[in-house]
Amino acid sequence: MKSIVIIATNTFREIIRDRILYGIVVFALLLIGVSVALGSLSFAEQARISANFGFTGIQISASILAIFIGSTLVAREIEKQTILTLLARPVTRSQFLVGKFFGLVLVIVTVMAGLAVVVAALVTTLGLSIGLPFFVALYGIVLEALLLIAVTLLFGSFSRPAMTVIFATSIFLIGHWIGSLDAISKTKLVSDSFKSVSRILVNVVPDFERFNWRSAPIYDTPVPAIEILNSSLYAVGWLVFLLALTSMVFRRRDFV
Amino acid sequence: MGRPVLQIENLKKTYRKGWGSKPVPALKGVSFEIKPGTITGFLGANGAGKTSTIKCIFELSFPDSGEISYFGEKGLSSSAKKRIGFLPERPYFYEHLTGREFLRFYGQLSTSLKRSDLEARIEKLLVRVGLSHAASRPLRGYSKGMLQRIGIAQALVHEPEFIILDEPMTGLDPDGRLEVREIILETAARGTAVFFSSHLLPDAEQLCSHLVILKKGELVYRGETKELLGKVERGFRVVWSEAGVQQTRDAVTSAELQALIDSVRAKRGDVLEVKPLRLTLEEAFAKIAFDPKAERI
Repeated sequence: MKSIVIIATNTFREIIRDRILYGIVVFALLLIGVSVALGSLSFAEQARISANFGFTGIQISASILAIFIGSTLVAREIEKQTILTLLARPVTRSQFLVGKFFGLVLVIVTVMAGLAVVVAALVTTLGLSIGLPFFVALYGIVLEALLLIAVTLLFGSFSRPAMTVIFATSIFLIGHWIGSLDAISKTKLVSDSFKSVSRILVNVVPDFERFNWRSAPIYDTPVPAIEILNSSLYAVGWLVFLLALTSMVFRRRDFV
Repeated sequence: MGRPVLQIENLKKTYRKGWGSKPVPALKGVSFEIKPGTITGFLGANGAGKTSTIKCIFELSFPDSGEISYFGEKGLSSSAKKRIGFLPERPYFYEHLTGREFLRFYGQLSTSLKRSDLEARIEKLLVRVGLSHAASRPLRGYSKGMLQRIGIAQALVHEPEFIILDEPMTGLDPDGRLEVREIILETAARGTAVFFSSHLLPDAEQLCSHLVILKKGELVYRGETKELLGKVERGFRVVWSEAGVQQTRDAVTSAELQALIDSVRAKRGDVLEVKPLRLTLEEAFAKIAFDPKAERI
């Protein structure tokens, strides 16, 4: 446990001191800024449109951080050979991976917290109140980011960063379309082969839409506690599975 | 002398460069051991299998077969790792960390020392490797020599009983090499076994009490340095003066030496010096590593 905390802290420090992070944060702030401009186009719904864009900005930046920084988490250690001195210490490969995972989680949660304060200030100014649904929506984005980091880490444990980005982005997109894919595959409009592929994808790709509670604060509709609990358990199950799979892939890898 | 800190038996490793490519044997049954308190040089030409062996030792690469024991026990346990320090070849470290943070990171991973004790140890180490002045600077601003020294410091931060240094002097200027040499000698004087690979044979000759030499993935020598250097006779150099003129000639065998001395005396010359010609490590290594006929010494 101590090793995981030390590696996570080092990973957090490494990313926080990297200029790439600030590029992504600036992008997110610009997106939130645009939301104000777009919201002002609507006379009646300005606050809702701004809040919607604000949450989308937070979600996109969390996803970009998870995919782009996640794709280099392991690759950079191997490329720079820092992994050699690290694994020569009393650290197992699984501890290394879990430490890297939590390091990035910490970064994303920190960035999200900062952006959430900006969005909260914005929507409050525009007349929306900040209640529990606001935090539930943020919690959903965190769960989605956790899964996305784990997916990225899995691909990053055996492929190059560019390929990892492609794989992880594909899973992210499919994961958001699973509901539609499932619905389409049940109609008579598609071929049998499409149905088979859809069925496989629905079963092997995590459903990212389960964590989409972003409309709750906008329309002030509460999310049932049982739904939050189920989705949390769903996320934990996938996380354990993905991290265990990544550890298995990584366990016997030679660092040549 | 106690049980070996490291014992390698019949280590074999084959690499494949890609799917369907021909396997390339890197290690073909290498066996040797490192005794406590010794400085052992690990020599071999490029591609001889030195780094492959070191990676197998730390399970950074997995051998096809063979056994490695650490401090008398098979397998690289967490407690064995706590007793070993490692500096890899061409070390690239976490550039975002300062020298002090870097040592703290590795110290925290390897010891359960109290924070204050660890900090004291780090400060001592920084002085020892001459980097106190740069301790608060990020590693990205360090020169090659400074990186090598901070790398050695990280290998020593948990006061290991055994350190493995992969090419610790490569790329250093003479001053840097001298400093690293001193650190190695000082470390060994404290009872730590040192095992280091190097291309710099004069350094290895000066430092190492023992040698392990690989050639194309096979072990060609393991044993004491002086024993290796004494194995290949080079003969003697005789300096004499004849009619006021100083002359020199080498005699390969004892019989030749006696005949040469007799002939000098017969010509009323004065024998000024008879010096045994010692093989240098460079010559011995060249004989082993590059002579296709020399399979083993």
